[in-house]
Amino acid sequence: MADPDLDFQTGESGASATYPMQCSALRKNGYVVLKGRPCKIVEMSTSKTGKHGHAKVNLVGIDIFTNKKYEDMCPSTHNMDVPSIKRIDYQLVNINENYMSLMSDNGDIREDLRVPDNEVGKEIESKFEAGEEFMVSLVSGSYLNEFSYILYLSAPT
Amino acid sequence: KQKKKQNSIHLCSVLKLTLFCVLQAPPSMVSTEQRQHAEHVFLSFRKSKSPFAICKHILETSKVDYVLFQAATAIMEAVVREWILLEKTSIESLRAFLLTYVLQRPNLQKYVREQILLAVAVIVKRGSLDKSINCKSILLEVGQLISSLSPTVPPVLYALLTYSLYCSLTHEDGLRQIFMMTMEVLQEFSRRENLNAQMSSVFQRYLALANHVLSWNFLVVLLPLLLFLLLFMLLLALTGGDSLGRHYIAMFEATQNVTLKPTESWREALLDTRVMDLFFTVHRKIREDSDMAQDSLQCLAQLASMHGPVFPDENAQISYLAHLMEGLLSMINGIEIEDSEAVGISNIISNLITMFPRSILTALPSDLFTSFINCLTLLTCSFGRSAALEEVLDKDDMVYMEAYDKLLESWLTLVQDEEHFPRGCFVQPAIQVFNSYIQCHLAAPDGTRNLSVNGISSHDEEEINELQEDDRELFSDQLSSIGMLGRVAADHCIPLLTSLLEDRVTRLHGQLQRTQQHLMASSDLGSVDRKVLDDLYEDIHWLILVSGYLLADDPQGETPLIPSEVMEFSIKHSTEVDINTTLQILGSPGEKASSIPGCNRTDSVIRLLSAVLRTSEVESRATRANLTELLSPQMGKDIVWFLRRWAKTYLLVDEKLYGQISIPLSTAFGADTEGAQWIVGYLLEKVINNLTVWSSEAELAYDTVELLVTLVEKRERANIVVQCESWWNLAKQFASRSPPLHLLSSSVQRTLMKALVLGGFAQMDSDAKQQYWAEVLHPLQQRFLNLINQENFAQISQEEAVKQEIVATLEALCGIAEATQIDNVASLFSFLMDFLSSCIGLMEVYSNTPETINLIIEVFVEVAHKQICYLGETKSMKLYEACLTLLQVYSKNNQSRKRSDATAEEDQYQDLLLIMELLTNLLSKEFIDFSDTDDVFRNQDQGTPASNRTVSAADVVLYGVNIVLPLMSQDLLKFPSLCNQYYKLITFICEIFPEKIPQLPEDLFKSLMFSLELGMTSMSSEISQLCLEALSPLAEQCAKNQEKDSPLFIATRHFLKLVFDMLVLQKHNTEMTVAAGEALYTLVCLHQAEYSELVETLLSSQRDAIIYQRLADAFNKLTASSTPPTMDRKQKVAFLKSLEEFVANVGGLLCVK
Repeated sequence: MADPDLDFQTGESGASATYPMQCSALRKNGYVVLKGRPCKIVEMSTSKTGKHGHAKVNLVGIDIFTNKKYEDMCPSTHNMDVPSIKRIDYQLVNINENYMSLMSDNGDIREDLRVPDNEVGKEIESKFEAGEEFMVSLVSGSYLNEFSYILYLSAPT
Repeated sequence: KQKKKQNSIHLCSVLKLTLFCVLQAPPSMVSTEQRQHAEHVFLSFRKSKSPFAICKHILETSKVDYVLFQAATAIMEAVVREWILLEKTSIESLRAFLLTYVLQRPNLQKYVREQILLAVAVIVKRGSLDKSINCKSILLEVGQLISSLSPTVPPVLYALLTYSLYCSLTHEDGLRQIFMMTMEVLQEFSRRENLNAQMSSVFQRYLALANHVLSWNFLVVLLPLLLFLLLFMLLLALTGGDSLGRHYIAMFEATQNVTLKPTESWREALLDTRVMDLFFTVHRKIREDSDMAQDSLQCLAQLASMHGPVFPDENAQISYLAHLMEGLLSMINGIEIEDSEAVGISNIISNLITMFPRSILTALPSDLFTSFINCLTLLTCSFGRSAALEEVLDKDDMVYMEAYDKLLESWLTLVQDEEHFPRGCFVQPAIQVFNSYIQCHLAAPDGTRNLSVNGISSHDEEEINELQEDDRELFSDQLSSIGMLGRVAADHCIPLLTSLLEDRVTRLHGQLQRTQQHLMASSDLGSVDRKVLDDLYEDIHWLILVSGYLLADDPQGETPLIPSEVMEFSIKHSTEVDINTTLQILGSPGEKASSIPGCNRTDSVIRLLSAVLRTSEVESRATRANLTELLSPQMGKDIVWFLRRWAKTYLLVDEKLYGQISIPLSTAFGADTEGAQWIVGYLLEKVINNLTVWSSEAELAYDTVELLVTLVEKRERANIVVQCESWWNLAKQFASRSPPLHLLSSSVQRTLMKALVLGGFAQMDSDAKQQYWAEVLHPLQQRFLNLINQENFAQISQEEAVKQEIVATLEALCGIAEATQIDNVASLFSFLMDFLSSCIGLMEVYSNTPETINLIIEVFVEVAHKQICYLGETKSMKLYEACLTLLQVYSKNNQSRKRSDATAEEDQYQDLLLIMELLTNLLSKEFIDFSDTDDVFRNQDQGTPASNRTVSAADVVLYGVNIVLPLMSQDLLKFPSLCNQYYKLITFICEIFPEKIPQLPEDLFKSLMFSLELGMTSMSSEISQLCLEALSPLAEQCAKNQEKDSPLFIATRHFLKLVFDMLVLQKHNTEMTVAAGEALYTLVCLHQAEYSELVETLLSSQRDAIIYQRLADAFNKLTASSTPPTMDRKQKVAFLKSLEEFVANVGGLLCVK
């Protein structure tokens, strides 16, 4: 199961936050480690070798951080590593020299994240300037010695 | 003056035409624009008015083939377009001109000649519609031409034949004359002996040229073919009606399934035995040419399907059939069948077996019938073997497989009517066919599976993807026939299957043990030779499939009965049977059957089941010995598939359903027997073991859980199931989501939930029942409520584990809804309703997770789908309200959602599709309603008076449409499933609640009307038809309301113009004429003045006085039978009839530029 104590706020690394799961129990839109990368599963199909063979699962995943595509195939009885993925919604309080002030539901503020240099970042800035109310969702996963995150915009709750 | 001007314009265009065509010759010298311009010139030339004189001129003077072709096309199109404007005499002379033209120019290019003949044919065909052309005179003309013919000018003959065929296609009487004429021509030719040598050399030249493509040129040079192909065409024409195609192959395919039913007038011609003989003779001559052989056999197949008034009495039919059979037998016996003949021959046999009444078949001389059956038997076995070979070689074109299928189907037809035939006459043939089938599917040495011609076995491990159908579906037709033949020869087949299966199981057991020892020594799985195992698995696979099809049927929706042959077989031998030994064999699947004393005195039907149970036991034991990796999931599927099929039919056999019952069967499987209880327990263990071991094999797990559903869906079986402890364990285990059940795929989990709910309605004392629900449903509710009521639910909701829990709950809810039956709907509905409102709350939480949103909507879809038809008023209203809230939340969440991703896939619009499905399900209440409030909800519904009604189906649906409509862009309508569902929904709404349409908010009303217009004008004909069907109820609604200024009234006026234009001015699909006609009629009733105006406007735009008059006449005729138009069925029908004529007459005319 997911490690509930994974505290990414400290940006700590090294905690191998994966857990095993039988390949056949993976689901499309779920997560899996493919070729050493944490991926979101975008395609899943099964096949077998010969009529009396056992099922094999063919997986196609998109690296959640780099958007690169990975493919893998494994017997459906095998266990695959599933990365722990965590998501927290924040309210954007301020942007200061490209760093965001984010407030979580329980009032904690963190200011260690830059406005990302991409489409989402631009949208965050323009919405912020327009004074719109919106949430920033932080999806983070750590894998091996790497820590990374992605941001989503979402409607205020 | 005007005419002159026109002529000059035409001449000019002709010049251009020629010019461009000359230019066209060296392609490198022509630019794309020039070519396009030339094409444009041709197109407009073809649309020009009365181009006849010009065309004649072109035909007479031009030397460019392409221009000639265009001129012929122009004539053809113009004649049809301006038919009613032309004088009959000028049409006649035009036709004569074209025919003479072709006859005088034997060296025309083939495509030009064909086009000109097609023009002639079209003229004849159009003429036959209003009887303005005398078919007889044409035929006479042709006949004279034929008799004056010299055989040295084949193209002319060719042209004539083509032409006369075109004529004949339009007129049956003409057809017969052609037929007779052909006979004469044939005799004429056959008298000239010196022709043959010359002909055959010409034939060979043509053969090379034609490169094995059947062309008309053959028949001019090879005499028997002439008759053959002509007759062939005639038969096609006879059977296919008026398909006027130049490419007879297309006709051939279109008419393949049409049977020959000529009128009485054909009696003399077709009952003449020489005609049939000729076909056999012809076939013998040309059978080596595969293309032609197919055609000649198809001809014979047509003759074999002959029925109807052509036969004066039964005797005529008998002697016709006898002659056909004799011909067929002597043909088959005298030859070695070519690959290309297999399908054709099987078609002949299949047709004669299907079409001739049993009484005729049995009235045949018994020698003949016996030889026929023997021949059919040999042929079936031989085609079966060849089909197996085709599979080994992995051929693309499986001709023997197709032929084998056909013959097996014929056997099925025969043995289903067994009582008409002499008793036992099919037993020996059945044994032979059955044996050969088994042989083809078993490995050597017993069988010949995978053996190619030279006896070498092939064994390859190909990749098989999940889309490939299981053999039990793929070959279900074959297996049904084989199963049926097995029943006919049950004495032979059931013991055979039993001993083969027992033998394979023993061998499998031994092989697994040896492999286990081998593994203990080396522990490397890769070193195991799977060949022996795989061969055994494949043998067992087929033996189980055949056993399943033999022992039981799988009728959809009815209670399957033990086949009477099987029952009789068991009864017949019951005196020799020792019941105790039988039960012992049944109850000890772990032991070798042959090791049990007295095993020869067992009931064979039970013994066959026992053999499958033994297979199952070997499998289960292997999984316990950790040999799962060596097992075949396919075999696992076969076992549970068989057990399910068997259980439906035999388990707790109901004696009341049978005239007589076999004592062994009722003792072993009857109600209140130990045997039945034992089996239920055994099957349950099997299910649980499979779900534990095979969670990684989705299909096997699914088949397994389906077996479980079968065990509990019938109350009697469920009563035994719930007495088993393992059932309760399964329920608890699943409710606690503990491993390994949580590994199962979502569809398996859903179905497992369904089974657990169904089981809960079995007979239990009230304590037990309470406890059961407390263990099955309550944990689900509890876990769910605990989770969503957590204070920090919003925060943790996106965690994978939480999401998984939510998804599992939603899947379970779908499963619960699927378990709905009339007698449990009351409690299930209440249970589900409690969840529905919580689910709506989840819509907010998971608004960013489309797959969860879809699952939530799916719960609603399932509840509506399974339950709405049983719900009384109050309950329905509750569901409507819930659905309404769901839609409101959905709408709120989707307002800001962008759906402009150009690369989006169809499944990203799953939510829309589901919502439309939900709405359609809610609407279905309006026409499928089993609700009997008092009965189903006696204790709960305290009859709320109707006046308190707050929400109606219409409100919800219209609200839903309000949400869906703005989201449905034209781009989305390009996805077929969305488009179909959408139009299905809006047509439903218009048909069911036309009164609600005028009350819609303006925007919604407008977009609905726009959707209808769009669907009518720019979608597929199917959608267009749906929209047209929606118009009549709308128009009727307006007529009821009498409000002249309402938006709907105005909209229908607009639709009047649309439909009017569609029918009168545009080319449209003829299938749509009826739907459009009905819509037009109701619209005309509503807007009579506007209709007259439309007609006036159209007429006034016609400058040509003749056209004006003809048009006006046509319009008058159209409404003559229905003036003044009223919404009356009779008048409507009359209108539709005149509309057909109207469209034929005026349709093309108004398309003139």
